[in-house]
Amino acid sequence: MFRFYGGQVVKKGTYWNLSSGESIELEREKILPGNRQVRYLKVPTTGIFILGPISGLLFICLLPLMSLLLGITLLTRIATASDALKSDEAAMCMGCHSAQGVVKTFKNKEKVSVYIEESHFKNTVHGFLTCTSCHSTVSMDNHPSAQYASKKEFAIQISKACKTCHSDEQVLAKPIHKQAITRANAPPCSDCHGSHSISKVSGGKAEASNSQYCLTCHKKDLNLSMKGETLSLTIDETILRKSVHGNHNCSDCHVSFSKKSHPVKTFGSKRELSISVAGVCKGCHPEKYKQYQGSIHSNMLMQGNLNAPVCTDCHGAHSVGPKALAETISGVPCRKCHEATFEAYKASVHGQAKINGKNGAPICSSCHSAHEMRPALASRSPRATCMGCHRNASELHKEWLPNSDIHLEAVACTACHVPDAERRVYLRVTDSASGENISKARVKQFLGANYESLTLAKANGIEDQQLWDMYRKLGDSGTKASLTGTLGLNDCNQSHSLAPKGKALKQCDRCHDADSKFFKAVSMAIITPDGHEERYNVNPAVLSSMFTILPLNQFYALGSTRIKILDIIGIMMVVGGMSVPIVHLTLRILTSPIREARRLNKLRKEGRR
Amino acid sequence: MKKIYLHPLPVRVWHWINAFSFLLLIVTGLQIRYRDVIKMTSFKTAVDIHNIFGFVLFFNFFIWLIYYLVSGKFNIYIPEFSLRSLIEGSIRQARYYGYGIFVGEENPHHSTPDNKFNPMQQMAYLNIMALFIPMQIATGLLMWDVKGFSQWIGLAGGIKIVDSVHVLLFLFFTSFLFVHIYLATLGHTAFAHIKAMFIGYEEEPEHGHSH
Repeated sequence: MFRFYGGQVVKKGTYWNLSSGESIELEREKILPGNRQVRYLKVPTTGIFILGPISGLLFICLLPLMSLLLGITLLTRIATASDALKSDEAAMCMGCHSAQGVVKTFKNKEKVSVYIEESHFKNTVHGFLTCTSCHSTVSMDNHPSAQYASKKEFAIQISKACKTCHSDEQVLAKPIHKQAITRANAPPCSDCHGSHSISKVSGGKAEASNSQYCLTCHKKDLNLSMKGETLSLTIDETILRKSVHGNHNCSDCHVSFSKKSHPVKTFGSKRELSISVAGVCKGCHPEKYKQYQGSIHSNMLMQGNLNAPVCTDCHGAHSVGPKALAETISGVPCRKCHEATFEAYKASVHGQAKINGKNGAPICSSCHSAHEMRPALASRSPRATCMGCHRNASELHKEWLPNSDIHLEAVACTACHVPDAERRVYLRVTDSASGENISKARVKQFLGANYESLTLAKANGIEDQQLWDMYRKLGDSGTKASLTGTLGLNDCNQSHSLAPKGKALKQCDRCHDADSKFFKAVSMAIITPDGHEERYNVNPAVLSSMFTILPLNQFYALGSTRIKILDIIGIMMVVGGMSVPIVHLTLRILTSPIREARRLNKLRKEGRR
Repeated sequence: MKKIYLHPLPVRVWHWINAFSFLLLIVTGLQIRYRDVIKMTSFKTAVDIHNIFGFVLFFNFFIWLIYYLVSGKFNIYIPEFSLRSLIEGSIRQARYYGYGIFVGEENPHHSTPDNKFNPMQQMAYLNIMALFIPMQIATGLLMWDVKGFSQWIGLAGGIKIVDSVHVLLFLFFTSFLFVHIYLATLGHTAFAHIKAMFIGYEEEPEHGHSH
């Protein structure tokens, strides 16, 4: 109502120019001078005279207040001036560094982009800092062209600036820092925390998934030194994602580690670490772990053999593949330790079938099972192992093999189906009730002091008399135990060289002949606590000894293990039988003159009569 | 010469089947046990033949058993119950074979259909027919199907015991065969007894002359 602008058509009155303070008296309706920027106030002259003293009084009264306000305003202006200065520095740096495509080349020809995304930086925990806070050698006046050997060298040098604000005490309070920083070749801060995108590691990446959080550091080149060994802590994310555990979080397996916890763990060796970490698998795979616990591998470990395989040795750690992969020629893990055996398998009828892609062709785990892997499975239980697949084997053997059932029980399949192998007879102490082999501990318990004398074999091996003593001792201990014999292979690795069916031994004479080579090597096999078999050499003569009629009452091969003493008795009996007619006939011939004389004498007497 | 019908047809048939089986079983048995010494056939062939004639012997045994049980002549195998007369008879017979036969004495035993065997023969054949052959058949059967008869083999003390019994009997039969054949030639002529085993009739001199 009282405010007007230059160029406006106004009525008569007094108009005060607010810019110049001049007043214009207009006698009639007229245009105000000046453009629209010029402001006018219409105040009557009398009003000025009244308001003047009142304003003067108010001014005097409010003067202290006004000076205070002025002081505050001035201070604020000084602060703003500093901001402006900083802002000027950032603006100066960003003048160049906001351009993409600008690169710095290090002495080793490595290149790094010097582009900075300013808006990102402003949102980091260091957003309040200016460029020179960290890049201390650079200022608005000075931009030295520093020469660094490499990107790594540059990162190390720049990371030193972190110490300006972050004291050693603060940094070392974090266990992971203690581990990472206090050793030689420690990674620079920026390796884990980044450079211009720094956020707090703990909590700062609350949105990031657990795995992404861990991989922040672990996808980088990290190593852990332990007593002369170096453990790579670098995880290849692509391999991890491709594994069957690709969707898991790191802390699903590394249970004590999380976004908030990174305990310091010390291990004597890489092997010790692997063994310790493998224990976490049972969390999700309790059944498999239970099976593993009964296996020879687990037993070896329990006996203190650190080379015994644990989960990760067969399945890998971060690259756990699908089950099907472990059942392929190239992916089967067993070959890592059992190379010679695997080569024998590859050349065998089974290996060839597998290589040629035959459906259902067996691989290691088909016979030995995967987790509950037991030793010498095939030689001790041919039915369970081979006949699991060859279900009609019993019928097929019956067609030509007399007493086929007993043959299949006492002769390992391999003894005939690996035609060129060396054979050996294995005697095992067996529980008569269950048919199970008795372990070393129980054999020792039954035999007491006799056990030592049994195993302290003589030059030729365990003798028949020792087996007889053992048998009696077992009987005395009330155990229904006996020795069962099996014809198997001398070297278990050869069990894997199974030949095609047509090449298997089918000539009975190869076995049932006292000259057969198959019965010239005999061992007593006792199962040790770790599931292996201890073999004690036995004198092959025990097989045909009279003393083993009872101890070895379940092992007998017609002809080849015949009891020798019976042969001697036989010769005596037959010679005796033959000598009766010979001697009697001879005597009859020699005595024929007597009979002739008596006959003539008799005839003479009859003639006289 | 008088003719005595000593061997009825069933006995003769049984005897010669038995004889043939025994010979084959002995030969194949030797082949099975002593392949390192004798190589006539393959082990498999020997086992097959041995099994076949084992069963022939087994069924043949029942021809003998049924004939003697049905005909009621089983008592020819039973020695006298009087121990005194048994011992006296045995000594008399042993004296004949050990002395009398050399000096031209007459055989104290005269075979008749009802009193076919002398006391020594009675004891020998009773053992053979009632004990040894059944045992040989039984042990043979056990070894023919070791798995199927495993319970019985266990009761017998194991396969080695069963086989040892079988072998000992086999050795006995083999050695007995020599004596048996020799004694068969001690009739009034060398072939008198053997001929009788074919035709059934034993020829005997009227007044019991000995040679």
